[in-house]
Amino acid sequence: MPEARMEAFMARIQRGEKVEAHDWMPEDYRLLLLRLIHMHAVSEIMGAYPEKEWVPKAPTLRRKMSLMAKVQDEIGHGQLLLRVAEDLAAPLGRNRIELMDDVITGRIKFHNVFHMEAPTWADAGIIGWLVDGAAIITQTALLDCSYAPYARVLKRICAEESFHMQHGESIILSLAEGESWQREMLQDALNRWWEAIMFFFGPPIVTDAARRMMEYRIRSRTNEELRQKFLTRYVPRIRSIGLEIPDSAIRFDEDAGLWRYTEPDWERWSRVVRDNTGPKSQERVALRRMAHQDQAWVREALVRARTAAAI
Amino acid sequence: MAMTQVEKDLVQEQAADTSYDVYEIFVQASDLDPHVHVGSVLAPSPEWALQLARENFLRRAEAVNVWAVRREDVHATPADPDWFAREFDRKYRDVSGYADNARRWKRFKAQAMNIDDVIADVRKE
Repeated sequence: MPEARMEAFMARIQRGEKVEAHDWMPEDYRLLLLRLIHMHAVSEIMGAYPEKEWVPKAPTLRRKMSLMAKVQDEIGHGQLLLRVAEDLAAPLGRNRIELMDDVITGRIKFHNVFHMEAPTWADAGIIGWLVDGAAIITQTALLDCSYAPYARVLKRICAEESFHMQHGESIILSLAEGESWQREMLQDALNRWWEAIMFFFGPPIVTDAARRMMEYRIRSRTNEELRQKFLTRYVPRIRSIGLEIPDSAIRFDEDAGLWRYTEPDWERWSRVVRDNTGPKSQERVALRRMAHQDQAWVREALVRARTAAAI
Repeated sequence: MAMTQVEKDLVQEQAADTSYDVYEIFVQASDLDPHVHVGSVLAPSPEWALQLARENFLRRAEAVNVWAVRREDVHATPADPDWFAREFDRKYRDVSGYADNARRWKRFKAQAMNIDDVIADVRKE
């Protein structure tokens, strides 16, 4: 009987049907999805930290307002994704509080790029342009996900990311059009971020979990396919504004139809993500902990107000 | 292993009944549009569900009204695809079932009508 159920599930997936939260699903499917969406949600929230640092220091009022809007979007995306994650986690007896606590206790990882420093305004620009650009590519690749609640939320997220894309381009274009010191600042920021962005897509080998996600049609593209798409879209644009990619090995191999590049230090970056040992990891987790603890009384008051209203 | 204060606080909060309810959110974009389901929020009360709905779904989109409905109060059809089965061709209910009208009107040197023309005509001063 369990095999028959599994076969029927896989047949649905093969037919391109979508799975809903209350449908029966294999435990493996649930866990793979939960890990993916939990990390996505937490990364949206932790991703707001490097950018929010620039809100008080943004060069103009307009930049301050647009950056603030973007930070609100990231937190909003985190909330939408947490809703999807907690519906998946409910049958496992886990709720939102636990999913968020996992950030503080280090049980859930967040993307490598959000462990990094953003020391100049050009870093804020590179985050908006290239880090968001990379994230947009990975997110659009999930729009056809077999799990419908995730696909629906991604549709909304991607619509808002189109603003983020323009916002990032606007910042870097202003710097590229500026004086030589501004272009140098932009080049320095690119140098700081390039390897992290290459790592962001993950290792070229197709891990067992990635293979299973493709069988379940949770995702349909490999890490390497997405990195190649990113390079094809962005390398010419980076060069067009006079920036140099800090990788002497980067070139398009016409015969293979592939970009060749220097692989990031997989081992070192994996440690940053796994052990929260990046330059800003501990500081940002501490900020998250502070936000969580300082608002505990609000959460408690809200629940008490409800209890009082019920009496 | 001894727990840190942070871990103790977390355990305490998780043990307390701080579970919020899921509210399904429906947004009405204009007076002439129906409420459309856009997603859900987790909130301690209907009032907070509406506040969170505005934060989550109306940062850009305009709206005239929002409904928050507790998920338990939503009655949905079963997942059974047979519930939506179409036993036979229903073209006779649709415009597409009458595609030959245009050709037949031509014989009489007149044109078939469509509803958009009628609406535009009635609106015209």
